[in-house]
Amino acid sequence: MTQVITEQINMEALKKAIDDVFYNQIDSTILYYLQSCVNCKACEAACPFTPTSLKYSPVNKAEVARQLYRYRFTVWGRTIGRAIGGSKKYLKLDEVETMVDYVWHCTNCGACMFVCPMGIDSGALIDLLRQVAFKAGLVPSIYKEIEQLEVSGKYWEVKAFRDAWEGLISKMKSQLGKDIPLDKKSSEVLFYASIYEALVYPDVLVKVAKILDTLKVDWTFMSKPLGIRPPLALILGDKEGAAEVMKRILDYFTEMSPKYVMLTSGGFEYPALRYMMHEIFEIKPKYEVVHVTELLAKWYEMKRFTIESTDELITWHDPCQLGRRGGVFEAPRVLMRALSKNFKELPSHGVNSICCSRGGGGCGLPTMIEDMAKLIGITIDEKSKKFLDSTIVPLINAGKLKVDEINKVKASEVLTGCPVCIESISFAVNYYHANTQVKHIVDLLADRIKKV
Amino acid sequence: MQIPFGLYPVGLNLYPLALDLFIPTIFIFFAGASYRVTRYFVTYNKPFIVYTTQVRGITQGEKIKELFNTFANSSKVGIKRKPATTAVGLLMHIVLILIIFLLAQHMIFWAYYIPPYQILFPLAIPESSADGQLAFFRGSTPYTSTPYPFVHDIWGPLTIILNGQYLTYLLIIFLAIYLAHKFSVVVERLSIRAGDWWFFVLLFVDVVLGFLATSHIPNNVYWYDNLLGAHILVAEIIIATLPFTRGFHMFEFYLGKLREWYFMIMRRGMK
Ligand code: SF4
Ligand code: SF4
Repeated sequence: MTQVITEQINMEALKKAIDDVFYNQIDSTILYYLQSCVNCKACEAACPFTPTSLKYSPVNKAEVARQLYRYRFTVWGRTIGRAIGGSKKYLKLDEVETMVDYVWHCTNCGACMFVCPMGIDSGALIDLLRQVAFKAGLVPSIYKEIEQLEVSGKYWEVKAFRDAWEGLISKMKSQLGKDIPLDKKSSEVLFYASIYEALVYPDVLVKVAKILDTLKVDWTFMSKPLGIRPPLALILGDKEGAAEVMKRILDYFTEMSPKYVMLTSGGFEYPALRYMMHEIFEIKPKYEVVHVTELLAKWYEMKRFTIESTDELITWHDPCQLGRRGGVFEAPRVLMRALSKNFKELPSHGVNSICCSRGGGGCGLPTMIEDMAKLIGITIDEKSKKFLDSTIVPLINAGKLKVDEINKVKASEVLTGCPVCIESISFAVNYYHANTQVKHIVDLLADRIKKV
Repeated sequence: MQIPFGLYPVGLNLYPLALDLFIPTIFIFFAGASYRVTRYFVTYNKPFIVYTTQVRGITQGEKIKELFNTFANSSKVGIKRKPATTAVGLLMHIVLILIIFLLAQHMIFWAYYIPPYQILFPLAIPESSADGQLAFFRGSTPYTSTPYPFVHDIWGPLTIILNGQYLTYLLIIFLAIYLAHKFSVVVERLSIRAGDWWFFVLLFVDVVLGFLATSHIPNNVYWYDNLLGAHILVAEIIIATLPFTRGFHMFEFYLGKLREWYFMIMRRGMK
């Protein structure tokens, strides 16, 4: 994977990037993560990438960050540490290759933090390395091009994206048999979705619209999406780019001022738009950003509707960003229990849920990235193709853990709340010929919700 | 020779030297700990808390339950997914804590410097299993009464197994497993740190020294004093370097887990 990228290394830019990131980002939390690890390797048990290789265990990946930190912030690091390899001022060529390889073997799923006896979030340290890689121009070009399209706002000029969005809106209209509210201010629910969702599961979005209509909710949809899957920049380590995109979103949410901004995706958008965005700009929003399961669970408990129950054996996969990073565990379970008397938990669930590995730590399945590139008209060169192909291995390995668990509970349907989880787990289910289907929870709910 | 602030003359063996160095060791420890803690204060940024959620509503009881879960989770998952290393890790910690804080000889040492420590005297565990055997098989009680209820510990015949001797055997085995694990990590070319060796090798050496001294191997006063002195000196090196090594996790562990709980429960309202 790394050969693809290292040919383009600009060592001066890399050094500057290392200094920038490490001198500017140390706060007490990061400092704690950097200096308090006991190297017990308990985190190995949590990471979806360790089945691929032990070198991808969280502590091993984060060690690169620790070496750079020690040189800068500890006396030992500057003296003895240098002599015995425990600290580094900058990285040598092969070490850069390793670092870049590591950053694409982390989904920032947060599983390591909950398993670490010291509560260390190795994902946050690997994210520092991802920021270094981004600043040094070491991001695969295919990712970078898609991301830049979003940061610049030019995504809306892409015909395929416009078509997908406009197609989605007309589908909603035809399914509901009427016009749908667009960009309406002060409604109860602003139904938020991204272009990516419009591309991968338009039917789920239409079903959400149907539910809102059935329940006679005062809702509105977006006439234009706010990004491809904003803020994409976040997962590439582009902090500034992410802030730019989030500012646009924040402005739109503030202008619309709904009571709830409701997301269908529980991927990284969830913690980003619910927490990070407001933390960065230090704004306490008047609205609340919620996942569709949170709102539906609340309304269900308020008896705004009933759910037709069955005996089907179903299970729930906790998306990392919705659960571990976002704190949503109970709401989907309220709905799952209502959907079936035979709702069973996966052996690893809640904070210990196994991450789907999201296609090698990138933005999604390689095939999905390729499809999107084709759609936009980006040529996938040899190097990018090689990189994308290499992301399949961890997906297969992490997928095995997931499929084994699904087989254990013998679930006929795996429900979840994130488009990438659906794609990744479906990939594993097909790969291992498991007998189950992976769906968005809304897929099932839409037909079973009855207004009281 | 008397070293500055020393309480004992430094003689021909290591024991008085070790005792003399205990107070300076504690000073170094506190200086290091203050340095480490100060760095946290200096780099602390007050978090901006977005909102307490209206859709989740976590109760006080759930918050406390989650606090327990936060502390227990890593062991629970570890036992399930990495049973061998987790079990060794947990047992090693238990044995180490018992031996450091409850071994009768150690308790006297701690109580000398921190008198309220005497409260724990009834929990003292003896040096060898002989006491427990005497209590159990002969029904014997201490011959002379003592000013403290010291030798009347609460363990009774349990000290047949709960004693310094057996715990030390276990500790030597666990530490050896740890060291072997560290070697295997080197072989696998995974990251290993100088601090790992520092801590585990010193601990291993210290346990062996303490064991030799208490067991009177070799059996003469000269060696006893030197071994005991060396045991205390190595412990002092460990204590003095705690703030600069992984050893500090014995304090920071709580900080890390509380932070995790605060982040997830109080800030994220996890439910
Ligand atoms: S579990 Fe935590 S303390 Fe242990 S090695 Fe991993 S990050 Fe370090
Ligand atoms: S955040 Fe997830 S993927 Fe990244 S190191 Fe931790 S467990 Fe592995």
